[in-house]
Amino acid sequence: MTMKKRYSFGLCIVVSFFIFSIVTFKDSLAPYVSFAEAKAANGIVQVQGTPTNDSVSITSDKKLSFRLRDQTGEEELVVYTGAKPEGLEYATGIVAIGKYQNNQFQAEKLLVKCPSKYQRSVNQE
Amino acid sequence: MSQSIRNSMIALGILGVLYAVFFLVPPAQGLGEKVRIAFFHIPVAWVSVLAFVLSAFWAFQYLKTRQLEYDQKSATAAGLGLVFCLLATVSGAVFAKITWGAYWNWDPRQTTIFILLLIYGASLALRSAIEDTEQKAKVSAIYSLLAFLTMPFLVFVIPRYYFSLHPAPVINGAGKIDMDITMLVVLIAAVVVSTAVFWQLLCYYVGRSNNHEPVKLNKTEVSL
Repeated sequence: MTMKKRYSFGLCIVVSFFIFSIVTFKDSLAPYVSFAEAKAANGIVQVQGTPTNDSVSITSDKKLSFRLRDQTGEEELVVYTGAKPEGLEYATGIVAIGKYQNNQFQAEKLLVKCPSKYQRSVNQE
Repeated sequence: MSQSIRNSMIALGILGVLYAVFFLVPPAQGLGEKVRIAFFHIPVAWVSVLAFVLSAFWAFQYLKTRQLEYDQKSATAAGLGLVFCLLATVSGAVFAKITWGAYWNWDPRQTTIFILLLIYGASLALRSAIEDTEQKAKVSAIYSLLAFLTMPFLVFVIPRYYFSLHPAPVINGAGKIDMDITMLVVLIAAVVVSTAVFWQLLCYYVGRSNNHEPVKLNKTEVSL
């Protein structure tokens, strides 16, 4: 009986610590923020969203630009100076790493989420 | 004898799967040739989950029966699980570099596997810190069960709750398998072969540590 009590007490402590750690780490687990948070932030942030259809274009000064809708639904222009990442057209999600400046998000790096479809490529050969 | 037959069957299986991955699997939509790394990444990740499940199962058996053979099995499974988990992390980082564009981005998927590595890495440290065999077995069995409590959250729940650059699992939320049939067959074969490799390693290490006990005793007898 006392053994049983000791075990359930131990289990209670473990479970409560487990819940505590989930609650504490909940917000810091994902590095991705919305545009609203990006505007408020001073440093480099990671904005996650989906590119809006056919908005990808190359500007006159050879910058890549597209509109990105974040998880709250806000849409902003993202400008990126590097080479166009492979698979940008197929992307189901994009993470833009950079700063919000002069009414646009200036990305230093773009991370691309590819669709999780393991299908035969159609334009094979 | 049967051991060597099993070894050669596994070797044949590995060669067969390697051939299939490089010559039979078609390039995938969007991913292209990069899809081939998935046939390593997914099986090793699966094996590490299996190993952690087995480790917890044998830990439970140990606490019930107090037979040291279960402790040996549980500890070996946890150790091998850690190795396969590390392989999944490294292959995942390479996969991430060629698809997302960065090796490591503290994506929820990456953060949780990192925590998992720390948890199971700590179990190795814990075992090496305790001298007494019975005490070591008891403490690490309890630790293994507690570690196992966190595993489903870290592997299955948290990465699905947050946005992640990691693709959805092969069996997606709708319970459908969105995979080309050739790829699926090769993937299943790769999972079977890597599970066999894991099992063979497990038997080898458990058998070796069982054989070691009497040898050590003999040596001490001789020196006495």
